[in-house]
Parts: sequence; structure tokens; C-alpha cells
Amino acid sequence: MICRFNYRHMANTLSLYRTVKRLGIPDERIILMLADDMACNPRNNYPAQVFNNENHQLNLYGDNVEVDYRGYEVTVENFLRVLTGRHESAVPRSKRLLSDEGSHILLYMTGHGGDEFLKFQDNEELQSHDLADAVKQMKEKHRFKELLIMVDTCQAATLFSQLQSPGVLAIGSSMKGENSYSHHLDSDIGVSVVDRFTFHTLAFFEKLNMYSNASLNSLFNSYDPSMLLSTAYYRMDLYKRALNEVPVTNFFGSVMKTIHTDSAYTGFLAAHDAELPLSVGNNILDHVMLQNEASARRSNIEEMNVSFSKFCISFI
Amino acid sequence: MMPPSTARRLCFLSLLLLLLLLAAAASATADAAAAEEFTEELLLRPLPDRKALAHFHFRSSAPPASAAGRHHHLFPKAISQLVQKFHISELELSFTQGRWNYEQWGGYDPMSTNNAKPPGVELWAIFDLPLAEIDATWKNLTHTLSGLFCASINFLESSTAFSAPRWGFKLNEGNLRYGALPREAVCTENLTPWLKLLPCRDKAGIASLLYRPSVYKGYYHSQKLKLKSSQSLGIILDQTLTVVLQPNTVSGKQLHSTGGQLQPSWSMEHLFSKKLSGKCLVSKSSRVFVEIEKGIVDNVDKAGSDVSSNNDLFVLSTAPDRSLKELDNLEVQSSSLYEYDVNNYNSDKPLNVGITWKLPLIWSCTRAPYHASRFLMGSGNERGSIAMSFLSTGLDKQLVDSSNDCSIKAVVFQVVPWYVKVYYHSLEVFIDGNSKAISEVVDKIHVTPSEDKLLPGTMEMLLKFPCSMQLATLTLDFDKGFLHIDEYPPDANQGFDIPSALVSFPEFNSSRSYPEADPLFVSPLLENFKEDGVVKSYTEVLLVPLTTPDFSMPYNVITFTCTVLALYFGSLLNALRRRIGEEERGLKKAGILNKRGLIPLLIAKLRGQKVDPSESESTSPASLPRSKLLLKVVFVAVVAIVFHYLSNS
Repeated sequence: MICRFNYRHMANTLSLYRTVKRLGIPDERIILMLADDMACNPRNNYPAQVFNNENHQLNLYGDNVEVDYRGYEVTVENFLRVLTGRHESAVPRSKRLLSDEGSHILLYMTGHGGDEFLKFQDNEELQSHDLADAVKQMKEKHRFKELLIMVDTCQAATLFSQLQSPGVLAIGSSMKGENSYSHHLDSDIGVSVVDRFTFHTLAFFEKLNMYSNASLNSLFNSYDPSMLLSTAYYRMDLYKRALNEVPVTNFFGSVMKTIHTDSAYTGFLAAHDAELPLSVGNNILDHVMLQNEASARRSNIEEMNVSFSKFCISFI
Repeated sequence: MMPPSTARRLCFLSLLLLLLLLAAAASATADAAAAEEFTEELLLRPLPDRKALAHFHFRSSAPPASAAGRHHHLFPKAISQLVQKFHISELELSFTQGRWNYEQWGGYDPMSTNNAKPPGVELWAIFDLPLAEIDATWKNLTHTLSGLFCASINFLESSTAFSAPRWGFKLNEGNLRYGALPREAVCTENLTPWLKLLPCRDKAGIASLLYRPSVYKGYYHSQKLKLKSSQSLGIILDQTLTVVLQPNTVSGKQLHSTGGQLQPSWSMEHLFSKKLSGKCLVSKSSRVFVEIEKGIVDNVDKAGSDVSSNNDLFVLSTAPDRSLKELDNLEVQSSSLYEYDVNNYNSDKPLNVGITWKLPLIWSCTRAPYHASRFLMGSGNERGSIAMSFLSTGLDKQLVDSSNDCSIKAVVFQVVPWYVKVYYHSLEVFIDGNSKAISEVVDKIHVTPSEDKLLPGTMEMLLKFPCSMQLATLTLDFDKGFLHIDEYPPDANQGFDIPSALVSFPEFNSSRSYPEADPLFVSPLLENFKEDGVVKSYTEVLLVPLTTPDFSMPYNVITFTCTVLALYFGSLLNALRRRIGEEERGLKKAGILNKRGLIPLLIAKLRGQKVDPSESESTSPASLPRSKLLLKVVFVAVVAIVFHYLSNS
């Protein structure tokens, strides 16, 4: 499908993909769905390059991009299958959302949309009810702990109006009745190369690195309606934590908290001890203490691993 | 002093120990001999139409699984797991964009035979399994490959997308499956996982030259993965990337003093914007070759100088380490290769191989005996014809045979999707414009006819053309089928693709042998060149426009039906419940209504004025409106019944 008005949507998605990778999320935790091939399109004057700025300084496609669903595979059915995890058995792991009950998921959608729907491939729509149902299924199946939905389309806020599952935070680039606008036109390529909402989101993230603790509140407050030419509306009634306490890297990056300790790791020793006969005498007490300590430490580590597994689904 | 028996025992024990140690050492060396290997090579060749060909060749080999177990240090684990899980004995997967220009770039050499692939994705695999399990394994294989290479190879899973040729593609016993996706896009996301299978990725060695914008700006690029697995030899994985580029040189359009135009002088830096700064450290060998075709060699010979790296026609920018001359079967020198060992170069002294032309030169590459092309005939959305033409290129058959029995064999293999319903009985052959009987030209034909929504149509033909023939044409008629509305892709009005047909010439061998300077080590690239390969060429992909429905019709039908229903129910309810003029009559009865008009009455009511009761004028006949009412009800009921009847039939 060769549609010129999709270039900026590709650029939006790829910009966010690049940001999220830069802040630490690896490719195996990202599901990237691109509905059209812009970079190697015969009409693209800069093959294998996608820009989001007319200064052409940053090639978003880069050397290291992995697209999981592309072209005709980007359908409403596949999208809902990814969210709910209901795939055929042959579908490979790289195309599945392998999240669990401790995961923080970022879902970014951009394209053409309207009142309560998002357009797919020019012949299908995703309705807000479908999205709400899928999220409800995800919650039932314990597929996320917290979910951030970011939508950059016209009348974006209507897409998440039907959500009811707890732990979901959603932000859209415009409200009902408003359009979302592109940022600027690149006269060399001939089309607009980025949308305003995504441009300002990126401007916010370019100042950050992996260890910043800028909060979601600061991100949401950085949107200026006069610059966006629309109202960025966010919905936090389903999200229990206060936004100024949640760092953006909870969703946009992946930071492992490391605890420095001088003692040796006895996790395996505790498991091993169960098979060994207890030694006699006053060693019994030491063993028991070691066992408790080790198991406590192990469960801490597991919890950390679970709560810091981040997933990002980026879609156009 | 030890007793003699103990000493003897001690001696015996120590001898045993020694033997054991020797055995262990021997087995260790045997294992070391069967270790994993990786070699990388690059071949550069100037092309006659002012372009340059770059061919990257990476080979990883793993010893048989029994020796190495599950641990790999060079060989990609993803591939060995793939081979083990799906019991693959041979597999080839290629991603191509662009069309190989057989007229200009040659059709008779191992490069065009092995690396000229049809556009899009082509996948074929030979499985080592009982025949009943192969289709299910093929489906799982396509899904796994789609996840591994970021492409929609999973579209080959359904039986409408792949076929099982018997002898038209490769001789097999029924365990070969072949599928192609002509419209698959190829971009950086397919190259990224392909490069991640190499031990040095794209960070070091020859793969570091791959500047993506250069690769994808080329006229033709094809990345291929070929693997062969056997119990005795282990797994051999060949990854090749063939790119045809236009070197961006300033001196491209220089005119020489003799009046001719010089070919563009280029170097690796012009092609890839980078120089080669060292080899991949885990590679066994890393070499760059520059191939000078037979056409150029002949010109150099004609000019009188010997074919060295610096002669009257061209000069190579760096002196090669070695030059290899191909010997054909008449011991006449054809093409020559100049070899560079990347081991001798590093980041301080990078390698930048290039060629500078001194005199204008025109040459041509050897072509296949016939130029095969395919096109569509007919118009309209109901039927059409596929035509294949074979144009003689003037290549004389090597076996000088001037008798009338001289014939050239051609094997044609074509897979056509089910919605292009080919009538195989309508095959017609025209040789030099004259219609010939099928039995004169077609030696052997095997057809698997298509089944609607189940199987594509596969055709394998062995043709025999007379040597003196100039042009042959084959035509096949077809009908266009209809797809279910859900089966149309989003851009259905573009048309549907018929994958490339493969034409091979079994009597012509495209192998080339170069003398080996080092008997211990054979370059895999040259080994591939030496392999017996029949001359092959792929035809064009055909785009067939099919009838598409009006995709807005479901919406239209819903709107139309709802409107009719609304009108029907509305009218029915109106007719049954609403009494027109009832309010008026009521008011008249109450004497409120006087001779004032309705509008002033309404205005007065709105103003809240009390309307004085006056004489009622209820003398209108009551029977006429009632019969009118009855007629209306009957009419609406009749319309409703008719509509029900029509919608139910």
C-alpha cells in the first residue's frame, strides 16, 4: 500500500521506538507494527532512511531495527491477538507479548482515527469498545500490572473512553471534536514528517537519560495546547498511584535497580541444603538462618525482576 | 626395595595410563579438527552498464551434532535449532528487491545462476521426514522464519501458497516444498537479524562495509541464506548478499581523448562510503576478490598487454596478493580473479580496493542460450492469457552439432495461484511464428491443476527447441476467479501477483573452476563457483488485475435496509396510531377552534392567551376520513407483505 500520508505516522512510531530503545528496553521486549514500508519504498528518495525532522540529522531507521508485524499483517485481529495473547501455536515468540502480572506496558498508537475508532490499513477500524474489551481480558489474564496507552490521532481521547480496567493510564493527543496536526512539512521528501504531539513528547525525552527520574506528571504537563493546536487529554481515574511519584522510565525505559551487597550469594546453597543432611551440633541454627536469609533474598530478587519487566507495543 | 610382581603391576598400570592419555589426546585433536569455522569473502566486479556488483559471502559450518553437542561458539544457535527441530536437510531463503538484468549482467556465470533470485521472498526446503508430516512442518517452519527474519513469510503457510514440484525445480522424492511471495518488501529489518547470525555481526570484518543506505539504493539487492545439513558433514550455512550499485563517482561521465566514454572508476569507498579496516577476528579467512570478466580479458588480450592488475586498459588501486585465472575446458583463459587477503590490513592501513579505467571499453557478459520472459495477454476481468517467450541470444551450443537433431532443452517451472484458473489444454507453442504441435516441442509435462481455495496450479515442462530457432512463444489461457470479500488484501485494486517462473537449461553448465593455490584451504566462494550448476533464469512477476467488489457495499446495504425499515415501521405506526386532525376535532368539539387560521391559533396558544370558546363547527362528515384511513392502512400492509416476501425469497 503506497499512501503518502502515512510517512509521518511511521516517523512517529519509529521515533518512539528509538527513544524507548535508548532508554533501555531491548528489542525482544518491543513489538513494532508498521503498516507500510516507507523506508525502502521506491518513492522514498532516501532509501533505508526515515526522518522525523527536516534537518535530516537523525535516521530513525538506523542499522538495527526489528519490525515484528509489517504490511498486510497489521490487522485488528493480529493486534488484539497480541494484546490478549491468543495466538496460534505456531506463532513465534518474537511476535508475542510475553508479559506477566508484574509488567508495565506502554502501548503507543498513531494513525488516522476519529470518534471512538482508529483506522487500520484503510479498510478496517479498531473501536474503543474492542480496545476496552481486550484490556479487560488482559487484566483477567494477569498480563499487566500497569498499562500506559498513548494515542496520537484525531479525536484521540475518544479511543480510551470505554476503558474500565484498573491500572490503566491513557493519554491522547486531542479531545472529541478536535484534530491532531502534523508538525512541519519536509519539502525535500514532500510530506509532513512528524506529528505535533509526538514531536513534543520526543522533545521531552531527548533531555532525559536512563537514570532520570522525571515523573509522568511532568510529561503530561509539558504539553502546551497552543503548541499542539489541540488539547492533550489524559485519563487517570483508573490509575491508583499519584502521577508525580511515577518516573517516566517505568514505562518508557528499563532500569534495573542494583543493590550492592558485600555478602556472597547463597541462593543456591539454600536449595542445596535441603538435600544435605543437617550437620550435627550447633551448626543447625546457622543452617536454618542461612536458609531463611537466602530464600528471603531470592524472593526479593524475583520480585524485582518481575516488576521491572517492561514491554512496549508500538503500533501504526 | 619393591617386590618384582608389584613393580610389574606398577609398570603395567603406568602403561595403561599412558595409553589412556594418548587416546584422550587423539580424540581431543579429532574433536578440534571438527570444529566450527567461519569464513568471509567479498567479490567485486565491474558491470558493462557502468554499475558495480558486490557479492558478500559468509560461510559458517558446524560439525555433526554428535561431536559438538549443543554448544556453539561461532555457529548461530538459532539456525542449528531450526535444523534440528524441523529436520531440514536443505533450505534456501532469499529476500530480493529489483530484477536481475540478464541482458547486461550475464546469465551464464555462477553468480547469475546462484544469486539472481525472483523479487520478494523465495523459500524452498527439503525435509528429512515421512511425507505425511512435511506439510505441517512446513507451516511451522514458515512461522518460525517469519519471526526470525521480520518478514511475512508466514503467508506461505497455507496450502494455497506453496507447491511440491517433482523435477521442474530440483529432483526430489516428494519431500521438497517451494513457495514465493513476490510482493514482500525487503528493508533494513530483514538485514538486521541476518547480520546477527554472523559471529562478528556488522561490527568487524567484511560485514562492516554494509552501509544500509548504499545497499538499499542499489538496482538489485538480494540476501540469501542457504543451509545444508547431513549426519556426516554437520551443518553448512552460506549467507550471501548480492548488490548491484551505481558508484557515485565524479569522474563518471568523463570523455576520453579518443571520443569514447570511460567507464566509471570506483573503489570500495565509493560504493559503501567506508573502507575495510580489518577482518573478523574469529574468521578462518577473510578475502576480497575482484573479478575481471572474460569480455574485459579478451579486450586486454586484443590490446596486446597481459592481464595483470596494471595494464593498458585498467589498473587496480591496490596490488593484489594473488591472481587466479579461470581455465575453461579448452584451457583458454577466461575470467580472472585478483585476491586480497584482509589479514594484511588493519585500521591503520585500511583496504580500499578500486579500479581505474584508462581507456574506454565496451564489453558484454555471457548470456544464457535463451532470454526467457513472460507477459500477460488479453483484456478485461474475465479471462486472459499467460505468454512465455524465449529469444535466442546467439550462444552456440558447445557440442558442435550441425545435424537436424540439434536441440536445446529447457525446463520450465511455474506456480500459478488458484484464482488464475489456467486451462492447461489450451497450451500452444509457436516457433519462429509458426504454430507447432505440442508433441514436437514438449518432451515431458507434469501438471498439478489448481483447486479453488486449496491448491495453486503447478506446471513443470521439459521443452526441446531446435538449435536454429530464433524465437519461441508459449501461450496458456486462463479465467479469472472470484475471491471472498475477506480474502482481498487492503489494496485489492492494485492487482494480484503470479510469482516468477523458473527456466533452466540442463545441458548448459555454469560452473567455473579456478586453480587452487593452497590445497589445504579452499575458498567457499570459489567452491560454490565450481559446483555443477545448470544455467537458470527467472522470468518477471506478472500482475493480474482481478474483479474487485465494491467494498463500500456492506455499508451501503446496511444504510439502505435501515432506511427502508425505518420508513416502513414509521409509516405503519403512523397509520395505525396517529389520527390526523384529531386535535383539531377535539378543539372544535370543545368550541375552542374558531374561524381563525391555525397559525394565529398556535401563536395565541404559545402566548398563553385564553382562547374563547365559540360555536363549534363539527359538521364534517365522519365516514369519509374513516374510509380514507382504512385505505391507507390496507396500502401500507400490502407494501409490508410484499417487502417481507422479497426479502425472504
